[in-house]
Amino acid sequence: MRASLLLLVTLILAGCGSTPQPPEPQRLRAALEAESEGAKRYERGDYAFAARRFDTAVRLYAAIDDSRGAARSRLHLARSELALGRAEAALGVLATAAGSADAGLALDILLLKAQAQLALAHDAEARQNLAAAAGLCAGTCAQAASLHLLQARAALAARDAANALAHAETALKLLQGKDLAHETGNAWRLVAAARLATGDAAGALPAAQAALDIDRRLALPEKIAGDWLLIGDIRRKVGAGDTAAAYRRALAVADAAGLIQISMMATQALKDIGMEKKPAR
Amino acid sequence: MSLLTQYDADAAALRRGIRRFLIVAVLATLAVAAAIVVRQGVFRQTTSYSFITNSAQDIVKGQQVRIAGFRVGSVADVNLKDDGQVLVNLEIDADHMRFITHDARVELRKEGLVGSATLEILPGADKSRLAPAQARLAFSRADGLAALANQVRDEFIPILKDIKTITGALADPQQGLPGTLAQIRSSSEALNTLLANSNRQIEGIGGTAIRILGKTEQDLKYLGQTLETANQRLPAMIDRTQQVLDHVEKITAEAETSVPPALRDGSSVAADVREIVSGAKQAWPIRNFVDAPAPATLKADSDPRGEAARAR
Repeated sequence: MRASLLLLVTLILAGCGSTPQPPEPQRLRAALEAESEGAKRYERGDYAFAARRFDTAVRLYAAIDDSRGAARSRLHLARSELALGRAEAALGVLATAAGSADAGLALDILLLKAQAQLALAHDAEARQNLAAAAGLCAGTCAQAASLHLLQARAALAARDAANALAHAETALKLLQGKDLAHETGNAWRLVAAARLATGDAAGALPAAQAALDIDRRLALPEKIAGDWLLIGDIRRKVGAGDTAAAYRRALAVADAAGLIQISMMATQALKDIGMEKKPAR
Repeated sequence: MSLLTQYDADAAALRRGIRRFLIVAVLATLAVAAAIVVRQGVFRQTTSYSFITNSAQDIVKGQQVRIAGFRVGSVADVNLKDDGQVLVNLEIDADHMRFITHDARVELRKEGLVGSATLEILPGADKSRLAPAQARLAFSRADGLAALANQVRDEFIPILKDIKTITGALADPQQGLPGTLAQIRSSSEALNTLLANSNRQIEGIGGTAIRILGKTEQDLKYLGQTLETANQRLPAMIDRTQQVLDHVEKITAEAETSVPPALRDGSSVAADVREIVSGAKQAWPIRNFVDAPAPATLKADSDPRGEAARAR
């Protein structure tokens, strides 16, 4: 008993007496913590708070002349701004990031720029940036799937449905077996939209349903409401009788999540098919 | 032989040492006892005062009594009288008697609103006469949290009643605004009808016109009465509304001074907590167990708002 106690005390003293790890610089640690906290908030969908923490991280990195950390945090900040629907602000952040970032982040910056420009309907600039990104992503890069998805969106915006479908299906193949559920959902949504645009409404419906299943699993209200709108459009095209039900589901989700724009679109869609606005069951 | 002599000398020296040690120990003990006795005020000259209260809550024997924040005495004892009142006796240092005027008042206060209770003697305005020994002083309790809460409640209840009365009066279909407006509307309609009739008939029939004008005059009188009624009611309502607004404005002004500092305090507390946690993480050996986070990566999402589906 006494021997084991002595052994225990010796072990504790040895542990305490071990050489302490050299501390990381406090400011670097603070910057990393701000960036990490922002990332956690982003994953939880709290984009406004995430943007504030990334902004803090940018300033902390800039204060210690860590240009790579600052550029990385700027990209995170731009993504938060895009998720908040503030594409103009995202472009502003990306403009400062482009000047200071190293070559490793150039592709990400181009893709985010294109994403913001597509959101603002600046299709020509988006296509330019996507072409530049494709030049940097020769062969297969980690962002290849995202690049194809953005190219599909740009093609859809240019009413080139066949090209959009080709890019979306390529992205879907690239995403197979990868843990990128958000992008897989986006790919199915684009496949559905492209098929609908090519007149293949029957083929579009399962793709939209697949996108909805993924977005439900990820619990993303904005995407879920968008998927129901898309399903409503597809059902309308094929002449299915439950079109109004899909629009009402979109309306219910949008109203519950406070998504005014989608709510207005769903209301208009219901009016277009001669139905009154009623809450979905 | 010399060995035995040496032994006796050592033993004597040891005895002397022990004796000295015991004497010093006894003296030190006596000094400590004397200090305690002096500290307890056994040799201090004191004067007794008392006060009556209806509750001994927060008053205990030995409790400090202060004047202007300085300790001047203590509660000697607390007794329940036959009539259910509580008699509290105070022992005050004779040196401080000069502050206790005949109109002095004892107040039970709490340090920092929720801290420990102390008795504070508040000298009165008339400094020319001091309270005699054994005098009975007046007693009161300073406002605590409960009293403040009651005060706030007392402020709010009349306001809520006023609002209820006004909204009730305004909404009353007979006496309120709807009734008054309905009366005005019916009078206006009657007047319009009569004026239309008079316009049609006034050209040919003078007598009829006179009669109609008489009727118009009556209706105008009626309208005047109605407006007078409204005029009588509205100022009162406006006065009441003004009172309510004054109340609300007062409370808002008070909140303006009290709420922002509280919010600022909350914010600074949060910042402090963040700093403390951050400092703790930096401290050895905790930092051995808490690694600094790695640079963050966000999951790829080229369409975070699902906009592709909305390109309708």
